[in-house]
Amino acid sequence: MTDDALKRWICLGCGFSYDEAMGLSAHGLTPGTRWRDIPEDWVCPDCGTPKSRFEMVEIPYAAGQPAAQVAA
Amino acid sequence: MSNAFVLHADERGYDKILSTGATAAYAGGHPDAFITRCSSFNFGDYQDGRPGFGRIRVFGDEAFYHPGCSYNMHPHHNFIICAFVLEGKLTHINTLGQIDELGPGDYYAFSAGSGGLHEELNRHQEPMRAIYLWLLPDRLLLPPSYERGHFDATAGLNRISALVGDQAGTLTIPQDAGVSRLVSNTPGTFRYRPRSAGHGVYAFVIDGMVRCDGTTLKRRDSKAVWGADEIIYETHAGDTDVLLVETII
Ligand SMILES: [Zn+2]
Repeated sequence: MTDDALKRWICLGCGFSYDEAMGLSAHGLTPGTRWRDIPEDWVCPDCGTPKSRFEMVEIPYAAGQPAAQVAA
Repeated sequence: MSNAFVLHADERGYDKILSTGATAAYAGGHPDAFITRCSSFNFGDYQDGRPGFGRIRVFGDEAFYHPGCSYNMHPHHNFIICAFVLEGKLTHINTLGQIDELGPGDYYAFSAGSGGLHEELNRHQEPMRAIYLWLLPDRLLLPPSYERGHFDATAGLNRISALVGDQAGTLTIPQDAGVSRLVSNTPGTFRYRPRSAGHGVYAFVIDGMVRCDGTTLKRRDSKAVWGADEIIYETHAGDTDVLLVETII
């Protein structure tokens, strides 16, 4: 994976995952939105954990995923 | 060349989560209810320690006080959440349709995968004590799953028993990780062979005392070792209860 590859981030408060390739349309983040371009005061839509407490992960998807992840 | 770290009981993070005030939306129960949580790794506002070990991200030594004390129903994705009940009774409710009451020796593995909610509740006067373990999964957004198991401390006396992993009779989880328990009441030497040099073992003393590769660990102390062919745990004449979490590093 190069540094330019689109990356995935996981919330350490609840496990919600953000995929730069997918974005998060319901929260105004269009597909391709880089993690670094998300405001620093952004919080996890499910649990309110601050952006600083997400971890970049290189975990592949389960078969058939990603379908659009729906925030609870 | 093996590596290790030791974490003493009083070096862990500490939270007291009330059912009133700022945490009321998260913790339930009557106004006197509260949860105490000692965190071995960074979690929530506790960020002074280690981020985790291998695929472990949360290791919480928790107690729920007073009837109705709970983490209210709340969502998760991805994490594999395991609870090992030590004392009292834990009611676990999740959106896979499970309403389960677990007692001492009982444990569960809840893989939140593509999304699930759960509530953790003590309905009784007796405090409920449990170890909560969160692991990263090997795939994102898996179908959610829930399984429960029971550890019989009598049958498991003076040996290492596998609880979670890929051995027969254990709960299966989607990660190269496993959990075992060492319960002993007599001096003994137990040799644990990690499945590869790329695996490590986090040993947490629930009760009693153990020597781990020469380090004396007392109640609620812990030690992680990785890159070793073999890890030696020596028990003493008293009761000893150790949880062992093996994970790919
Ligand atoms: Zn979250």
